[in-house]
Amino acid sequence: MFEKLEAYIEEISHFLSGRQEREEILSEIRSHILEKAEQEYGQASEVSLGEVIAAYGPARRVAEKYLDGRPVIAPVYHRYLFRYTALLFLFHFVLTVVAVVFKKSFLMFPILYVPSMGPFEALFYLPTAFLFDLGAVTLILYLITQSKKDVKLPWPKFSIDIDEVKPSGRTIGRIIGLIAMMALTTVAIYFYVRYRTIFFVNFNLPQRRPIFTPGAGQWFSLILIGLWAISTISLAIKLVASSPWVDAVEKALSLVLIGLAFRQPFETAFAVPLSESLVRTFKLGLTITLLVICVFVASDLIKALIRIGRKRLAK
Amino acid sequence: MDPEIGNFETEMNRGFLQILVLALLEKDMYGYAMVRTIRDLEYEVEENTLYPLLRRLEKNGWVKSKWDVSEDRPRKFYGITDEGRSLRTELLGIWRKQDQILRQLTEEKNHV
Repeated sequence: MFEKLEAYIEEISHFLSGRQEREEILSEIRSHILEKAEQEYGQASEVSLGEVIAAYGPARRVAEKYLDGRPVIAPVYHRYLFRYTALLFLFHFVLTVVAVVFKKSFLMFPILYVPSMGPFEALFYLPTAFLFDLGAVTLILYLITQSKKDVKLPWPKFSIDIDEVKPSGRTIGRIIGLIAMMALTTVAIYFYVRYRTIFFVNFNLPQRRPIFTPGAGQWFSLILIGLWAISTISLAIKLVASSPWVDAVEKALSLVLIGLAFRQPFETAFAVPLSESLVRTFKLGLTITLLVICVFVASDLIKALIRIGRKRLAK
Repeated sequence: MDPEIGNFETEMNRGFLQILVLALLEKDMYGYAMVRTIRDLEYEVEENTLYPLLRRLEKNGWVKSKWDVSEDRPRKFYGITDEGRSLRTELLGIWRKQDQILRQLTEEKNHV
């Protein structure tokens, strides 16, 4: 019994499947290594076996050569992984928005369950939904690949091919945008530091009248400043480095901040006297506006994630 | 060697090795003996490539194997089957055709 040889055989065994087949493969490798050590080094010893094992190659590489190499998802279906995931997630996202706005839950057993939830919960629900959609599409493509059948997968004709999604914006546009955003963020921070809010009814600052109560004013101001700051930082990074990760992080953080805006009770947020019906109208208008913004931000987030996924696949 | 040429060589070896093994196995042989024989022909085959190849050929019925346990060390001997012989004939035909095309092309180029 040679320790080195047995350790090597054990390592190869770890990467192989099928008990009977594995035992036969390992017996043949063991026999070969022992014979080579004896024939070429005079005798089988820990030293000679070490040399022969080194020449035979790393255990994982050896094991991989016995596998038939069929991919989990065939290369021809790679593009559908992100196409279908994007489509499914869009469907999931719309249902989530409906569930939030109308306080409804949806059940399409066994593939879909969207519970009734608040906007804040939705922000935690959506990433889970995305992972579920990715997993479900992966499983289907895996089964198609393993079936070895030539399945032509359907894909609707869009005016813009999702595969052609490219980072938008030119350098000059970005520079102008960056300057504008920096100015806006700086002014907002100045107002916030000075008055603890950036929302006013009038612009006559000596007789200023804040729109919101101090607590709500601080909350909404910080969220808006946060959104502008994230956008500013993202634009600055994109001037020197192009990576879909920048977009992905920017959009994800923006979604979290927008979600936080929903946490502030709206009815008691106003410092100015407003009729109940006007508050209701404001609330509905703001909710719809924020949800529309969420849809656009989430759509950009999906595009960025698709670009990240495609880059990884290309690698 | 240029790594790019190394990749091409690996690609070309894949097909060549199958014909080589099928040609060698007219006489029953075990893995290590095959490695030595191929080396004596001034060609190199990676041991960790040869055994998986033999296994694939066996799964497809082109070679057969049996363990010989009559000596101290058990050895797995391989031999070609009738299906393997037919395959070898066809593969050799393809190889000769390819060789002829390449010769023709390179000779034409030399004459130009």
